[in-house]
Amino acid sequence: MNTFPDNLAAFLINMKNSFLVALLFIQVIAFPQSKNGGLNTYMGDESMFYAQTKQVNQFFRRFNAEEDVKGKRTYNGDSIFRDLKSRKKYLNILFDNSGSVSTTDRDEFIERVTDKKSPVFLDFHGNDWFSEVAASFIYKHERVDIILYLKLEKQNGGFKWVFSNVYFSRFNDLFSHVGDTTNLKLFLHPLSHEVDFMNIHKVFEDPERMDYFLDRYYRPDQLSLFVSELKNGNLKFESVKGVKFHFLQVPGWYFEVSYFNRNSNNSGWLISNMIKINPKDKKELIRNYIHED
Amino acid sequence: MKIKTAIAGLICLLILTSGLFAQNKDENISPQRKQAIDSLALEKVRDLSKYISIIGDKATPWSEAQRVIERAVELFMENSEIGVSSLSRPDVAYYKVREYFDRLMKLNYDKVNIEWYKIQYVSDLERQPDGTYVGVITIYQRFQGFDKEKGLIYEDTTKKDITVYVKRKETQIGGRLIGFWDVLLGDIRVKETSK
Repeated sequence: MNTFPDNLAAFLINMKNSFLVALLFIQVIAFPQSKNGGLNTYMGDESMFYAQTKQVNQFFRRFNAEEDVKGKRTYNGDSIFRDLKSRKKYLNILFDNSGSVSTTDRDEFIERVTDKKSPVFLDFHGNDWFSEVAASFIYKHERVDIILYLKLEKQNGGFKWVFSNVYFSRFNDLFSHVGDTTNLKLFLHPLSHEVDFMNIHKVFEDPERMDYFLDRYYRPDQLSLFVSELKNGNLKFESVKGVKFHFLQVPGWYFEVSYFNRNSNNSGWLISNMIKINPKDKKELIRNYIHED
Repeated sequence: MKIKTAIAGLICLLILTSGLFAQNKDENISPQRKQAIDSLALEKVRDLSKYISIIGDKATPWSEAQRVIERAVELFMENSEIGVSSLSRPDVAYYKVREYFDRLMKLNYDKVNIEWYKIQYVSDLERQPDGTYVGVITIYQRFQGFDKEKGLIYEDTTKKDITVYVKRKETQIGGRLIGFWDVLLGDIRVKETSK
């Protein structure tokens, strides 16, 4: 069921028509079209593109009600900036309507972020949100998928995306026995030091079993392995396959934002998953999402 | 005549922007400045879309297309790329800007029709660690390829997310140091939209 509010859709279309007239007027004066045409030459229906959340930037703006219906940025002091009524409408169109989020969760979430006493706004420069990039690489002559986790980092008054972690199943397989407490054969006996660890060579005879000899609480750092394999020439980047974003900026909630490329008003960057969480779950959830065991 | 017009335009632009930005020594871009920069950036995108239409037009003579490609390339930062994916091939294929235009010129259709939707979306400008600013402008393009005998044989609508770099520069006019914002295009992500 398409829950895109009818009144908002109609409003967008009406606004679109009056906006087009205004835009065309401005264009005739300011940007006379060449014979070959520049921007704005197609007269077909584009209401879908107006409704679509076209950039993650627009997701933030709509979430916070920091743009008007034409997509124009509003600022503190503008009458509709962060307007509660607009926010509720915008928030409703920011969910994937194909059933990935229950109506109950959606309604409760919207109530929470638009709470009059303590509304919650997303902060592009804030913590508690990160990006997940599914990418393909060539690993030792074979095409493989690797997940890259990136976060924004401040530097010199500006910002940049940095790698915070990666997940590659082959790296995970290398450490399948870390933390194993059931094996009673593979260990260095407690008096090995008295013989100058002369028995240590046995550890290295079968590299596959190496992880039995590691500190039980050791957790492999996949990012180090990733950088090492890249630098050794074993890993070569091919392509980005998909991008998602994980948000934990709303107290008590986790949500995921994905791109929906479909012929519908309900398209673009939308909330594709949502879970109600408590503070303890939050850490656990982050660990799961970035594949930290 | 064209040169005179261009110089007059440049002077107007510098006066306009220097008036707006004369006091600019701080790091933040005010909404008014942002609007002025958006206009400059949209002007570049408008030029780009015009050039794409000319390059793709089969009626454009080869020498004219080459000249326009040169002009189009000048809009971009060095080493900019165009990343293209389609519904049938989600992997991104990367092309250098010039290579992309060359391919566009050589497309194997008898007639090509390139049109642009009116909608455009301009992101916020974000400051980078090097002090310059970056934004993204989204536009939509409708492409149709025709064959003499078969008629329309290919069409798509693509979303183009265009990176825009904005840098504060200074120039001397009549012994006066005038600041202005220089806008250059960067990488473009081209994504086929759902049919």
